Amino acid sequence: MNRQRSTKQRALALAHGLILGCACLAVLIPLAYLVINSVKLPREFLTVPPTILPSEVTFEHYRDLFEDSKTVRHFRNSLTVTLWTTGVTIISGTLAAYGLARMRLSARILAGVTFIFLFIRFYPRVTTVIPYFLVMRELDLLDTVWAIIIGQLGITIPFVTWLMLVVFQDLPREIEEAALVDGASVLQRFYRVVLPIVMPSVSAAAILTAFLSWNEFLIASSVARRKASVLSMAVAGFVSDKGIQWGPMAAMSVVMIVPMIVFALFAQKYLIRGITFGAVKG
Amino acid sequence: MKKLWLFLLIVALLLPAGALAQDMPHAGVEIVTNFMQSGTYDIGAEQLEAGFEEATGIELEIVASPFVVLVQNNITDLSTGTGEFDVISGDFWIGSVWGQMHPLDDLIERDMWTPNIIEGLMLPGPSGYFDGKRIGIPYSADAYGLIYRTDIFEEAGISADWETWDEFFEALDALEMHLEGSDIAPNVFAFGAYEQTPAIFLGMYDGYLVDAEGNYALDHDKAVAALNQMKSLLDYNPEGATGLSIDEANSVFLTGKAATMICWVSFVRADAQNPDASLVVDNWATAPFPGPGFPFLSAWNLFISGLSENPDAAWEWIKYYINEDEAKRRFVELGVGSPFLSTYEDEELIEQYSHDFPNMVANLNRAESVPWIFAAFEIFFRHMGEFVIGAVDVETMLENTLADWSELEVPEGLVQSAAAQGQMQEG
Amino acid sequence: MSLSAASGSTKSQSDWHRRHDLPWLLLFVVPAFIIVVAVQFYPLVYSAFLSLQDWVLTESQTPKGFVGLENFVKELGDSTFQRSVRNSVLITGGALALQMTLGICLAYLTMGASWRMRAVRTLLILPMVIAPVAAGTLWRILLNSRAGLVNHLLSLLGIKGPEWLAHPDWAIVSVILLDTWQWTPFVLLVVGAAIASIPDDLLEAAAIDGASRWKTFLYVELPLLMPLLLLTLVFRMLESLLSLDSIYSLTFGGPGYSTYTLTYYIYTLGLRSFNFGAAAASSWIFMVFASLSIGLVFWYQRRDW
Repeated sequence: MNRQRSTKQRALALAHGLILGCACLAVLIPLAYLVINSVKLPREFLTVPPTILPSEVTFEHYRDLFEDSKTVRHFRNSLTVTLWTTGVTIISGTLAAYGLARMRLSARILAGVTFIFLFIRFYPRVTTVIPYFLVMRELDLLDTVWAIIIGQLGITIPFVTWLMLVVFQDLPREIEEAALVDGASVLQRFYRVVLPIVMPSVSAAAILTAFLSWNEFLIASSVARRKASVLSMAVAGFVSDKGIQWGPMAAMSVVMIVPMIVFALFAQKYLIRGITFGAVKG
Repeated sequence: MKKLWLFLLIVALLLPAGALAQDMPHAGVEIVTNFMQSGTYDIGAEQLEAGFEEATGIELEIVASPFVVLVQNNITDLSTGTGEFDVISGDFWIGSVWGQMHPLDDLIERDMWTPNIIEGLMLPGPSGYFDGKRIGIPYSADAYGLIYRTDIFEEAGISADWETWDEFFEALDALEMHLEGSDIAPNVFAFGAYEQTPAIFLGMYDGYLVDAEGNYALDHDKAVAALNQMKSLLDYNPEGATGLSIDEANSVFLTGKAATMICWVSFVRADAQNPDASLVVDNWATAPFPGPGFPFLSAWNLFISGLSENPDAAWEWIKYYINEDEAKRRFVELGVGSPFLSTYEDEELIEQYSHDFPNMVANLNRAESVPWIFAAFEIFFRHMGEFVIGAVDVETMLENTLADWSELEVPEGLVQSAAAQGQMQEG
Repeated sequence: MSLSAASGSTKSQSDWHRRHDLPWLLLFVVPAFIIVVAVQFYPLVYSAFLSLQDWVLTESQTPKGFVGLENFVKELGDSTFQRSVRNSVLITGGALALQMTLGICLAYLTMGASWRMRAVRTLLILPMVIAPVAAGTLWRILLNSRAGLVNHLLSLLGIKGPEWLAHPDWAIVSVILLDTWQWTPFVLLVVGAAIASIPDDLLEAAAIDGASRWKTFLYVELPLLMPLLLLTLVFRMLESLLSLDSIYSLTFGGPGYSTYTLTYYIYTLGLRSFNFGAAAASSWIFMVFASLSIGLVFWYQRRDW
């Protein structure tokens, strides 16, 4: 009996590993190919069959990238935009969601407020970029990172607010009531009791916001010109009217991935539940 | 003593500045110019930035944007009266705002500026004109071309001297026979780059593009013939050609898997002679582009925005950027097709590009730009795509195209461009 | 919300709530509200105004005049509009089914705090990090029918791969594949976080009651996760409908009109043809649909309010 169960468990573990292995391969192969493309010579780009192991490795595209003074500016702008967008979004979005969830609003008002947020979030941006451009022109913010940040906040805050609202609503209120008896203020309750529990969701929201902000193109390209231009605009610049510069584009994409991996690894720390299922089952 | 030194120092500093100010009427003025972010035109401009600022005292800002963003920015800027840019890069894609550009005739006359640009490129169409006044000057020139493998042609005993597509198709038939059993296709074209297919059509079609009333239109019978001929080209292309992008088609040729290719020559020229990128080094040449239609032209112009507060300073930049030395340098270093005749008459270059130049110049002289705004172009190439993949027949395709076109208005600047290039229906 | 039935203790609590908590809670909401509404309000109202105007920027610098609902009628009857809606439904439907299933499964399979699971999780969310325009270009190379890696790998298995991007139906499949590859991580991340946020004592209680793992999932976790799953679904649906960069660089909407989606259509109208009236009208038509979807989530969540 005991032995049977362990065989079954072993089979399950094997299946588990196998599925995860396949998933990782599905993610890794295209990514690896991207990296390979970034060090390939042009002639090995579109060969038949595809060149998986280049006969010669070249770091020319990376060298060109780092020798270009614009890369540093793009990088700095992208970092500024992403940090501000993510920071402001997470703080204001989480707080707003908590406020909305605990305000004891009537269902209709709550739905109304959330709806306005989401309506703004999902309105096709291609239609609003020109009016937005005009607003930024009037505010004299064209070609500044602030124009990009403010524009992105209109996308990211509604999502984070919505996500966190759902999370807070599902959080049993009893958890806070103990603290309420102690006479803790809202801020204390939020910070000491609620936040630690919802931290996984907050970190997921932060990861998503940062990724979105890092790669956002439409808003950035309509309000930024030169001083405020960002990496996503630089990547798109490799697509011209007469073709694509594959190598430089691949190199730039690889460079762009690195900071986000670091960020994701950092944010992952909070994405884990204190006690795992295995421990619960004991 | 110290004060005296300081005084002398200040005088010494001021003197040349004062002297220079007389030669630099625009010193201190700031202008903004834009280019497509392509690693060619924009880099060419950046290389000149410091020298220009030093020579004129003008502060230059270069804004480089991806193609679609550049077009979007230019039209938005001029139509909303924003005036961000003094010097604007564009061609027929921004034809709807040609009426808002600064006329250049007076400036050209004042400076007696006579660039040695290929004649055909200075005419209305390739050059921006509005109400009979010049508004744009071409700084690049690339025409759709046809390149072929000299070694294969020699083996097969075919010569590349066709004048019409019918003659070219005869050559393709001969090639097909010769290449039977090999994995080399007689021809390759980027049929999968849907926005490129009109180029072939325009080469085969010699009817009007704008009707007598000034609306987008096509001569029905000639269009049907050209469309069918265009589709028959697929029979000579490798399998899956309807999925080939420009780069993919180029690589088919560069890896030696096609005997001829229809393409933007400036995008292949350098790679084809680079052993790191090509297996056909020294084994290719540019052929005449067949008629009766015209080679589709891409000629970027510089315009001065009508909203510019410093048109004179803007003009200084245009003269600095567009001249024969720079055109040659950009051609050699960055692969930008030159609009200057002198580039193609340069002895050093003639030797190096003997396989390429004679027919290239002939193509450029015949090349025309189209009077299509983006919406017109998009409608045409999408419906054409449906026809190429066999989803609709030729009559339905034309019917759909004309129905969608009827919603559009041809901007005045492009009506004039069509009229000047003989692309208008007589009536 | 009626307080008449409230007991003494909740009544005093609610007084306390009103006096002490409410100002704070309001203060929490204000910044987000200002940023979102103030900045985006004008563009939105402006586009509502535009949807009732005849205005093509390339034809005239100012609106040509009020046309009522004409733009809406014209768009709804336009064959390209209808075709793009059909394409959008196919692409988003296919992509959603795939990524929701895969995402939820992977979220459960990658739970845990071990370094191995953390590494796997980080790896699995990587596709999201790539700029959509670069992801589209990457998959264009992968799916190239001649020189692509995908068909090459398939041929090693003895399968002749299809003409991914050249064939109208396969082009749609290609877009679905790309969307799934890039955005399954989103589902994985959000659902994974939701699972991790379920208080442990609930699960412990279930375990003590002797519930099996499957039953715990079905009766304890799933009801708790449901609102978030629905939210993820709606969010991914609208995001996928709105995606543009990746389709632009993968298929360019082609061949012909095969992968021309609603967003692509609106983009072309608005930023390429500058037909502001038509673009705004199409956007509002899209928003009717989006509102219904959001409404569905609200309707489901209403029980808690």
